[in-house]
Amino acid sequence: MNIASKLSIIFLLLGLSACNDFLEESPQGNLTQESFPSTASEAALATNACYATLRNWYFHSGGYPILDIMSDDSYKGSNPSDQANNLDPFNNFTFTTSQDGLDRWWNALYEGIKRANVVIEKVPLIAMNDNEKAALIAQACFLRAMFYFDLVRAWGGVPLVLDTNPALTLGRATEEEVYQVILSDLDFAAANLPERSALSTSDYGRATKGAAKSMLAKVYLFRKDFVNAEKFALEVINSGEYQLDPSFSHTFSIYGQFNEESVFEVGAQGKDGYDNGGNQYSNTQGVRGTPNRGWGFNRPSISLQNHFETGDPRKEGTIIFLNEVLDGVTIAGDGSTPNITYSDPPTNSIIAEIECYNQKVWIPGTTTAEQWGHNRRLIRFADVLLMAAEASNENGKAAQALTYLNQVRARAREGNAAILPDVTTTDQAALRTAILNERRSELALEGHRFWDLVRTGNAPAVLGPLGFETGKHELLPIPQTEIDISQGAIRQNPNW
Amino acid sequence: MKLFLPSIAVWAFSLFVFSAQAQDTRISGTVTDGTSGEPLIGVTISVVGAAKGAVSDYDGKYSVPVSASDRQLRFSYTGYNSQVVDINGRTVIDVVMNEDNDVLKEVVVIGYGTQKKSDLTGAVSSLRGSDLRKIPSHAAEQALQGKVAGVQVTSTSGAPGATPVIRVRGVGTFNNSSPIFVVDGVILDNIAFLNSADIESMEVLKDASATAIYGSRGANGVIIITTKLGRIGDIKPSYSFSAEYGIQHLAKKIDLLNGKEFGAYVNDIITGTYNNLDALPNTDWQDLVFRDAPIGNYQFSVSGASDKQQYYLGLGFFNQQGIIEKSDFNRLTIKLNNTYRLSDKLKIGNNLTLAPFSQSNAPNVTYAAYRAQPVIKPYNADGSYAEVPGVGNPLADIEYTNNNNRGLRSVGNIFGELNLDKNLVFRSSFGIDFNYAESRAFTPVFYVSPQQLNEQNDLSIGNFRNSNWLWENTLNYNFEKGEKHRFAMVAGYTMQQLRSRIFTVAAENVISEQENLWYINSNNINPNSVFHGVDPNQNYALLSYLFRANYTLNNKYLFTATFRRDGSSKFIKENRWGNFPSFAVGWNLAEEAFMDKYKAINTLKLRASWGQIGNEKISYLDQYALIINGANAIFGTGENTIAGSTFGKNGNPDIRWETTTQTDIGLEIGLFESKITAELDFYNRLTDDILVELSTPGYTGNGQGVKVRYNAASVLNQGIEFNLVYNGRAGDLKYRIGALGSTVKNEVKSVGGSSGVDSTLVGGFLGNGQSVTLSKEGLPIGAYYGFETGGVFQNQAQLDATPHQSIAGVGDLIFVDQNGDGKINNADRVYIGSAIPKFIYGFSTELTYRAFDLSIDFQGQVGNKLYNGKEAVRPDLYNFETHTLDRWTGDGTSNKEPRASSGGYNWVTSDRFVQDGSFLRLRSVTLGFTLPEKALNRAKMQNARLYLRGTNVWTLTKFTGFTPEIGSNDVLSAGIDYGVYPITAVYSAGVNITF
Repeated sequence: MNIASKLSIIFLLLGLSACNDFLEESPQGNLTQESFPSTASEAALATNACYATLRNWYFHSGGYPILDIMSDDSYKGSNPSDQANNLDPFNNFTFTTSQDGLDRWWNALYEGIKRANVVIEKVPLIAMNDNEKAALIAQACFLRAMFYFDLVRAWGGVPLVLDTNPALTLGRATEEEVYQVILSDLDFAAANLPERSALSTSDYGRATKGAAKSMLAKVYLFRKDFVNAEKFALEVINSGEYQLDPSFSHTFSIYGQFNEESVFEVGAQGKDGYDNGGNQYSNTQGVRGTPNRGWGFNRPSISLQNHFETGDPRKEGTIIFLNEVLDGVTIAGDGSTPNITYSDPPTNSIIAEIECYNQKVWIPGTTTAEQWGHNRRLIRFADVLLMAAEASNENGKAAQALTYLNQVRARAREGNAAILPDVTTTDQAALRTAILNERRSELALEGHRFWDLVRTGNAPAVLGPLGFETGKHELLPIPQTEIDISQGAIRQNPNW
Repeated sequence: MKLFLPSIAVWAFSLFVFSAQAQDTRISGTVTDGTSGEPLIGVTISVVGAAKGAVSDYDGKYSVPVSASDRQLRFSYTGYNSQVVDINGRTVIDVVMNEDNDVLKEVVVIGYGTQKKSDLTGAVSSLRGSDLRKIPSHAAEQALQGKVAGVQVTSTSGAPGATPVIRVRGVGTFNNSSPIFVVDGVILDNIAFLNSADIESMEVLKDASATAIYGSRGANGVIIITTKLGRIGDIKPSYSFSAEYGIQHLAKKIDLLNGKEFGAYVNDIITGTYNNLDALPNTDWQDLVFRDAPIGNYQFSVSGASDKQQYYLGLGFFNQQGIIEKSDFNRLTIKLNNTYRLSDKLKIGNNLTLAPFSQSNAPNVTYAAYRAQPVIKPYNADGSYAEVPGVGNPLADIEYTNNNNRGLRSVGNIFGELNLDKNLVFRSSFGIDFNYAESRAFTPVFYVSPQQLNEQNDLSIGNFRNSNWLWENTLNYNFEKGEKHRFAMVAGYTMQQLRSRIFTVAAENVISEQENLWYINSNNINPNSVFHGVDPNQNYALLSYLFRANYTLNNKYLFTATFRRDGSSKFIKENRWGNFPSFAVGWNLAEEAFMDKYKAINTLKLRASWGQIGNEKISYLDQYALIINGANAIFGTGENTIAGSTFGKNGNPDIRWETTTQTDIGLEIGLFESKITAELDFYNRLTDDILVELSTPGYTGNGQGVKVRYNAASVLNQGIEFNLVYNGRAGDLKYRIGALGSTVKNEVKSVGGSSGVDSTLVGGFLGNGQSVTLSKEGLPIGAYYGFETGGVFQNQAQLDATPHQSIAGVGDLIFVDQNGDGKINNADRVYIGSAIPKFIYGFSTELTYRAFDLSIDFQGQVGNKLYNGKEAVRPDLYNFETHTLDRWTGDGTSNKEPRASSGGYNWVTSDRFVQDGSFLRLRSVTLGFTLPEKALNRAKMQNARLYLRGTNVWTLTKFTGFTPEIGSNDVLSAGIDYGVYPITAVYSAGVNITF
């Protein structure tokens, strides 16, 4: 029994000594949120992460350019059946509250907002250089405003999240409340961001004072506060920081990345995959078939093709037609996609669509991976000029409006005096139409057209035949899952 | 493999020759059955303490060599009580053997000990013998299907090496609802390493009285597996060899439209798409994708014992090719079990399994085979793969996929048992589960279509290491006071730690596509692909204290109390510890004097139990809110990658143990000397504080599809289980008939609760933005939730008069306006079915007639619904099932099948895709023939049996998919047919030899 007693004692001691330390574990390979960001370099990491959202495929309206497809500028594209049930509803306004893609866009925008909130909430607590600190917070404010601006335009008054740990019972804020946040964020950004000329070229892609002011102009334009819209547009123009690229095609091309016309641009590397530094935005739209550059969505519409004035080089600069030769490659297109479809078979007298592609996302090269390297230009100086023109006209300054409008036309003309004559009308309504038309020619397939039509009240007339219902389709429906989760705290938009 | 089988045979033969020896004298005699007086064939006669033996022949006669020093003979025969007879100088010994029908004498393995079945207060089912080996599968747990009341086993996939899903008494939680396995005392999550030939018994612990000793991990049931060991007295080694080879065959093809029918359907959508339907190609993609494939299972074992040692050595090889090319599974199992009696007081031993395996995984082309348009020819005129719109060419997918993993799983323990006193035993066991696996996938450069191509070859490599150790120390105290009182107590503590490492890395543009160059180096590495970390589900520690006391009074009154206290590193300090008690009583009525007059009843026991058990099968990271890395920005004209890090999803430090409170009332009956036995249980299982991942609002910024863990649901499972067995014989015909069944009523009692997030759990995502299931208060877990259809709009007048969505037209489905608001929207979605069966049953019969045996096992379920998810998902124009031939084409043509459409309105979540999942399946049928004694003697064998077997050969079901058996590890996606790798019918032949 002696050995036995000893063993029993050992057994008991072991049992009692096995204390809680055995159960203390820590997460492997990750920091926790309690301790981040706590240094200047971590503050920079947190700020950089806000920009990564701009490369998230879902940030670009849920993965596909649905804003373009909803406008009269484009159709779904690709071959007829590809993604038909997920994208055609946007073309003909038959989408429902549970439409594929809505939740992706909503969630990506709020993911970006959360990342911005990390910086805005935590960085002020870090002991670091005050100027650097303000510059980082200003970048986050700029991006937060940009994300909220997409949300408020797409869905109206949305839940307002301004910290990293929001209550789970939020309802919708009013549009006005959302806009107030956007404006105060942009004011802070405009005050604390550097001008483009103060950035080193290795920092191109970061938000600038000019970008923040351009955003302010745009936000005021959407709010029909034309005085402020004009003010900020002119501040950008008069800053001398930007000028139009002499060539319309060049400004979108891979050779024109971060050119002087580019006010805010999303950098990307020509590698497939978000994790590898790529951006799938243009891969979804790239030429399908031969040469294979992508999936071929967002096909320019016949209506858009017909919209360009005779001889406008921007038509060729915006649309890739079959058999065109680009960077030495002949565009043969996709075998499984009909070159022409008609809207009245079997008579076939009215052309519905022709196979063509968005040239603004074209990337030369030999692989689809390179297509992921397209830098999406989110704000162009041409847009700022047209905003200045629009706001000036609304403020009764027709002459000033014409100056900026004709600057855009002059660049488009590229020295050919026979085309695109200067607009001369000073009639406010006629000039308003001319500016809207110019926006369509200049900014086609860049995600502006649908919202331009809605904010100018032209949507019912232009999009009505496609299925647009007034009082309903100005806003997207809040994703059904979001309504379900909120248990009614978040109310659906009218008429959905 | 080619060399492997012959070498086993040679090895076995040499052992056999070596053991043959010269003998002195012989004893002979006859063995007869105690009831019928018939001779017993095949009784094993062994000389106790010597490696000598014989088997009785067709007339029950035997002759065994003995030497002067031999003292005793042992007579053993399956299903009969063994006897040891003193020789006492006799040369003729006749023996009468009696059947061992008294199953209640059985000793049952329970957690941390064994118990006589008659003393048991818990609901425990046992499976042993041939029942363990009826299904040709690498997965030993397949044996439980249709064999244990209250247990549902479903296959998730027919892919080689796929692990089935097990549910004990319904679905108790929203997360991992699988039981735990205890293999020779080592607690494990899966038993993929185990060869069923090495298993002695499986016991399923179902109620709280039985499972509470496993505390935190018992809530979903416990399956205790004991592997084989040589029996004391079997001095002569027993060699056993078995082999089974079979062919797997796609049991059923799905009825899809042929080329002409498809063309006609498409023309109904867009007139004139196809002008000449008769000229359309007709490709049967199912024929192209699926093939017949072999399956083989071979094993050899030696077992035996001496005074000091018991041993078992097993060697097994399992090989399965898939019915889709490029899928296979190979596993070698080496089993070494030993027990050494070092002294009267001390016993030590080991159980060890080594299982090297390799597995190739085909791409999931089942989807593509189902979806691909029949009007597409698989190859272009030049022999290259044709583009298949929407899904890609499945044949190309197979060719360009090279994906396999291989590894070594080592599971085992060493233990020591010390008798501190006559009644007191100290046992310490140290077990390990070490799993190392390596995965490799290579995709060459290829081009089929813009959406099916690879521009630069890709190689990815993964290394996975899991290690798990478990140290258990227990004291067992057994004490009897006279005939009246019997105590059994166990107390102990256990420590367990799981660790894992994952290292994955990928390369691009490997210099050449030959397999010998599939390695990663500095030229081809993709630095963004490197991941080094842990598997969050396999990285935690547990510390437990356990106690159990059994008391039996007068063999009549039984009492059990159990307590376990568990601490887990998955929770913060304040929430870490959980206490799990249970209490049970039993009453052996048959022992009461007042039952004496009911002679037919030899067993009658009532038992009842109550207890609480826990569950914590969640990621160790759920308690933390983490920072994520790799959220990089690209800045500058040089497009430099600038590192970014930010908040990941919100964590939840408040999570704590999930608790299941279970009540069980059971009745056991044995009639006519246990010729008939029956067991009946009623159970009530309420799981509270379920650890559930809930969608938080999108505005929290957690990202698309990201969920956060909460203790925020409760679920009730109620049901009845029964099990009936009848043993009988008529002349030479012996038979056993068994039937069992169980009911489950599953109801979600609450979701969300105080957390203020989500009162419903949306699940069953089809991948196109649609969800199929919604779990909320009052519905079963994973209830299908969608529109109820009310026919088809026959004409414009009906459309105008009926509430409808603006996109609905004549010929489209009518969705019922449930709330009568005149609008059809998501508020009109209702409960449209559940994947949980109302009744699961099985019945089997085993017949033995002279040398022939026949066993038939049926299994089925009633009242469950399946959701045809693969049919509903239609982003592109895919092929259609043949029921669409009856589609609406004009007023009065159909009120069930809507007009032709390639997707959209008619394909949203509705009862259109809900199908009856009831089925009756002939799970297994085996016809065996045992070689007659003379032939055996000539070959010096103890036993040799040949058999033919069919598995899953016949199924009665209305379901249109490959199989009604749709398993899912995700309880919110149960019963949704996503188009998984089909389960096959297997036709096989086998041989078992013992010598």
